[in-house]
Amino acid sequence: MAPWDAFRGRIVQFRNYVRITEADEIARRYFVMNAFDGSLTMLGIILGTYLARVQDSKIVIGAGIGASLAMGMSGFFGTYMTERAERTRKLKKLERAMVTNLDETVWDNASSFVSIWAAVVDGLSPALAAIIAVLPFVMSSFGTIDFNTAFITSLVLIAFTLFFLGAYLGKISEENIPINGVRMLLVGALTGFFVWLISGLGGETAVALVF
Amino acid sequence: MSGPQVVHVTKLVLDVLKPHQPSILEMSKLLGELDGVKSVNTVLREVDADTETVVLSIDGPELDYEEVLDIIEQCSASVHSMDEVSVQSVETGEPY
Repeated sequence: MAPWDAFRGRIVQFRNYVRITEADEIARRYFVMNAFDGSLTMLGIILGTYLARVQDSKIVIGAGIGASLAMGMSGFFGTYMTERAERTRKLKKLERAMVTNLDETVWDNASSFVSIWAAVVDGLSPALAAIIAVLPFVMSSFGTIDFNTAFITSLVLIAFTLFFLGAYLGKISEENIPINGVRMLLVGALTGFFVWLISGLGGETAVALVF
Repeated sequence: MSGPQVVHVTKLVLDVLKPHQPSILEMSKLLGELDGVKSVNTVLREVDADTETVVLSIDGPELDYEEVLDIIEQCSASVHSMDEVSVQSVETGEPY
């Protein structure tokens, strides 16, 4: 069998696993929720560092990469352990209903595959959103653009990401796509406003106001 | 005097318990791809929250029960009973 045929066969097999376990719904949820987390976390970091008068791209990149790595690891391992527990529970329930052992069957293989697949989606989506937001600062660190341009570009990229996520949800739910995109954008704007408000006040004032 | 004879299984009717997925369509197609299988008929008999009971009728010139069982088990199903079997005795070299 040619390598391409073997690869295509694997893809078909994986799609079957996802369909059997109805994991496409879960993966969609993880993707949107965690990409949203990643984008808003980066929005907070970028606004916060800007308001703290940081002008060094490397600091923003360091914070951004640190955050995206932490979110990625947390997403991957948290989801893997959760999904594995849920899939094992479901498999055992099915074994009791079937009065048979389901080791090495398509259900066993599908459960193992889907746990890893959901974890990869959950781990990659916030990291990807964070990397998109940090890219302008990478360009700034190479001198391609200045820091302020990187800041504005990053905000625009975050806005696009949020709009895309909202539009994607609109497509899934068969609702108005642009309106859902704008809705998500407004959430991002609201978050940005609060970050601006609190960070702009300065740390001590913010703490005093809260407590 | 007749020549040496070999016995071929030509029909199997199995009572099978399976989860909802893979569907009976997928399982039937997999069984239909086996060598020696000419037709597969699957009838849904009972359904509950997690499982379904089907009656599987497989016809063909030369069925291999072990291969059929392998496919059924791969689909996470189990054979509860073998309800009907047909065999045909053929003389070696005699066409089916």
